[in-house]
Amino acid sequence: MPVFKAPFNGYSVKFSPFYENRVAVATAQNFGILGNGRLHVLDLSPDPGLPISELVAYDTADGVYDVAWSESHDSLLVAAVADGSVKLYDLALPPTANPIRSFHEHTREVHSADYNPVRRDSFLTSSWDDTIKLWTMDRPTSVRTFKEHVYCVYSSVWNPRHGDIFASASGDCTVRIWDVREPGSTMILPAHEFEILACDWNKYDDCIIATASVDKSIKVWDVRNHRLPITVLNGHGYAVRRIKFSPHVRNLMVSCSYDMTVCMWDFMVEDALVSRYDHHTEFAVGVDMSVLVEGLMASTGWDELVYVWQHGTDPRAP
Amino acid sequence: MAMRDLVTGATSCPDPAAPSASNPLGALANALVGSSSKTQERLKEIPTSTPTSSGYHFYSQTRDSVNELPGSEFDKPFPDGNSQGSQFFHSFRSANRGDLEDTWDEIQRLHGSPAQGRVGQIPISELDRSGTPQRVLSSFLHSFLDSGRGGIPFHPTSLPLLGLSEGDKQCIRDRSSIMARHLFADKSEEFIDAQLNALLCSLDIESTNHAKGPAPGIFRELEDYWNESQGNLKPGNHAADGWITEYRQHRETHDNPDAWAHSFEQQYGVNGWVSEFEQSQLSSADHIRGVNISNLAAMEQTRMLANTLAQNHDPKFQNSKFLQFVSKMSRGELIIDDNQVKETALPSSGNWAAEYQQHFNHGPTWADEFLNDKACLNTVIILPQFQVSHVPEQWATEFTTEEQHRAIDDQWVNEFSKLHVNDWVEEFGEQVGEGAFGENSADNWAQAYDEYINEQVAGKQHSDGSRGVYVFSDLNPYAGHPNPLKEGQELFRKGLLSEAVLALEAEVLKNSENVEAWRLLGIAHAENDDDQQAIAAMMRAQEADPTNLEVLLALGVSHTNELEQAAALKYLYGWLCNHSKYRTLAPPELSDSLYYADVARLFNEAAEISPDDADVHIVLGVLYNLSREYDKAILSFQRALRLKPQDYSLWNKLGATQANSIQSAEAIMAYQQALDLKPNYVRAWANMGISYANQGNYEESIRYYVRALTMNPKAENAWQYLRISLSCASRNDMMEACDSRNLDLLQKEFPLQ
Repeated sequence: MPVFKAPFNGYSVKFSPFYENRVAVATAQNFGILGNGRLHVLDLSPDPGLPISELVAYDTADGVYDVAWSESHDSLLVAAVADGSVKLYDLALPPTANPIRSFHEHTREVHSADYNPVRRDSFLTSSWDDTIKLWTMDRPTSVRTFKEHVYCVYSSVWNPRHGDIFASASGDCTVRIWDVREPGSTMILPAHEFEILACDWNKYDDCIIATASVDKSIKVWDVRNHRLPITVLNGHGYAVRRIKFSPHVRNLMVSCSYDMTVCMWDFMVEDALVSRYDHHTEFAVGVDMSVLVEGLMASTGWDELVYVWQHGTDPRAP
Repeated sequence: MAMRDLVTGATSCPDPAAPSASNPLGALANALVGSSSKTQERLKEIPTSTPTSSGYHFYSQTRDSVNELPGSEFDKPFPDGNSQGSQFFHSFRSANRGDLEDTWDEIQRLHGSPAQGRVGQIPISELDRSGTPQRVLSSFLHSFLDSGRGGIPFHPTSLPLLGLSEGDKQCIRDRSSIMARHLFADKSEEFIDAQLNALLCSLDIESTNHAKGPAPGIFRELEDYWNESQGNLKPGNHAADGWITEYRQHRETHDNPDAWAHSFEQQYGVNGWVSEFEQSQLSSADHIRGVNISNLAAMEQTRMLANTLAQNHDPKFQNSKFLQFVSKMSRGELIIDDNQVKETALPSSGNWAAEYQQHFNHGPTWADEFLNDKACLNTVIILPQFQVSHVPEQWATEFTTEEQHRAIDDQWVNEFSKLHVNDWVEEFGEQVGEGAFGENSADNWAQAYDEYINEQVAGKQHSDGSRGVYVFSDLNPYAGHPNPLKEGQELFRKGLLSEAVLALEAEVLKNSENVEAWRLLGIAHAENDDDQQAIAAMMRAQEADPTNLEVLLALGVSHTNELEQAAALKYLYGWLCNHSKYRTLAPPELSDSLYYADVARLFNEAAEISPDDADVHIVLGVLYNLSREYDKAILSFQRALRLKPQDYSLWNKLGATQANSIQSAEAIMAYQQALDLKPNYVRAWANMGISYANQGNYEESIRYYVRALTMNPKAENAWQYLRISLSCASRNDMMEACDSRNLDLLQKEFPLQ
């Protein structure tokens, strides 16, 4: 399957919700510790034998830690930049006109961006300044700032069913559930004893959430019963960096970790680890599953490589 | 509604339609749910999927949507008094506003915002950090990672164009501290701090007292409270207080700079480092005094890190560039010293021992070089008239006169102290016996030896005093030449830059006020890719004639290359003040405090007055390089080139600017133009190499560096770039040739087609 080599270390990869052959990749120089960033938009050839082509690339003055596609416009992208800015890009406009917006409100590195899939009019960013911000396309400033976490917020994700509800994962060892109509968080889930780097909602059961932590484990929770996790998935050798539920199969999840592997899990069966992909040679930090093509996966890591492959096949196979 | 169902389930939740006053949250939620359902309807009218970009309007109807979006009201002041939720809000806000917020505010003040911290970041350009220094750092790090795989000791080289600003350091400090906590989560906080100290110390960055601290950990209070509240309420004051106390305690321990020292002493005993240091065959007390204890301690800690990593037997993990990066940096094998980064490579005092050892191991090479020199000495007719007087030369002179290896100066012997001097002498004797004379110039040896001595005496000797002082070559064959200036000009015209330098040096030694000789000397050094010497020569030229326009322009360019904005502005402004056509533009009071914007404006005015003056466009191009507005710089140089298409140095400037704005392919075209006009243009050859390296074509870049070095083996930067490219191209086999500066071998291995 096709491979793309980026000049910088990969940080995030996302499939376009509009085009089955398109992915966006966020990268940062020097492992994101210091230097520039670049946002790539890549087109996969329909023939898997042909290489991935780069549609466009945007340079940033600091590393890009995450990227999110707009759910309302096929050409819009939101980038979470390490200098604290949130930038909007429009692929339909010439490169010189981009970024079309640059919001400077976060005071520390912005670590994640997530576009609202239900309302499709707003997106969330979470930052190392301990806050989450809610933005819309039509406002020059953020709509709201959610400040309750007491350490870096690494990820915030909209509920796939309810357009006003999201979950946030933080280094303060809690996941919080929020309703934007409410003043504060609605629920605090002390999900791990260590920093939580990511969380995601199940796409078929809007009460199920998965959390990934530096304690190397993934836990699956039913928010109605927050005392005990539904299951704890062990298998990663280092901190788990991202977790993502399958858009097609209820019980499937994919995760990536500092142990350089990408793992597929079925959280309802005893032997939960479905498959382990060992193709990256550095920390695997970005992973996604296509909404449009069942089983199509993409991953990136600090080895500067972006892989796109069909689940069950070898990502490195030519 | 949905939220309530989701969180509490239908059974445990009181009837949402009948909130009681005792549950202000519920009341509030209800009020809000009512309003938002309307909103949702409204929003459904908006087309949800619009696959063209023209269908949306930013900032249109702003007021409407703000009012409609649920939750937006929370960032506004709450109406006080009579609403049911007000009491709730009051307590909610005060919980947040107490110590917790104060403490964080304090932290934020300490930090400053990232934008403030990032010195040198210019908001106009998105690419402002993409200049050469950044890429030098990057390739450097990669080369150094690769050197680990080949098992070749990494030689800390100076990074000529690298300067880490305070903002950059802050950034490295903060980010690496957060990332380290992800990696070493199961280790103790002390361990993590030790790792960070090691890393930061090697980078000459102060340790963590300003960095973002660790996560506050799990609050037992919170959990209890949580269980009580059945997940429906938020933590109250006491949870926050608990955190505050914990955090303060934490900060206290971390603010204590002696903490690490204590822990180190506990591990190794007070004299631990001393005995270890002694093991490394060092005897000179002078050197030991110079050793930075913290470096040693930090490096010691890193051995622990290496052990931790070694516990993971996955070979892939062992090869991780990032982990090697962390561990090698921590071992002090990479030194980025902000202050001295533009000087000769100085090993940190802690690394000194290793350095010393390495040099000792390279003894034969050194001897070889020395031998070559001896050959040269015999051919030199007249001894140098000018010599920087320090030990090595004395020794060399003595040696020359006696021509006997037994006449080794005592001082020299002392420097080698316990090392196996005899072995070396034998080897040297053997080589003399074989009569293996090479072809390398005397300079090569002198330089290598100088460097060596510099490293030996680094701890006490090196100062900024050498900056701006012109360093003459030893053993100048042109010293007795009847007209060295004419000879120098001729050699320069032929493109024999290194020879021209020698002839011109002979001239300025004879006639130290010769502006033209100094100027040409400066240009020759600049074209030979040696900006330090170029600046020194140009400064002498400027002393002799403070109004020479070419000199002022050249000084501006050289300082720009060295990223010294203030100095560059001073000379470029001086150019304007001394130019007959433009001096009226320059208000005399400006020279006291030069700002980039003022100078740029003046030159833009000058360009309007005479759009056909190529020099003005050149200066503008240089200025835009200073402000990293590379697009404008490229336009300026292109304009100048239309007026002066035969100016090879202008083509090189264009190329360098294009390279800085990540247009490596275009840059290579421009360099090629420069080389077509002047085939012996060392700087363009080296720049060509850099552009290929930036494109990831390391093999090709090596060929160009080698070509440049063949023409000027003294181009220090090019040697370092070559080293980086060699390791990036996995040509560790040629590292030895690079370190011993064996150009014959390198040329044979990397011929330029």
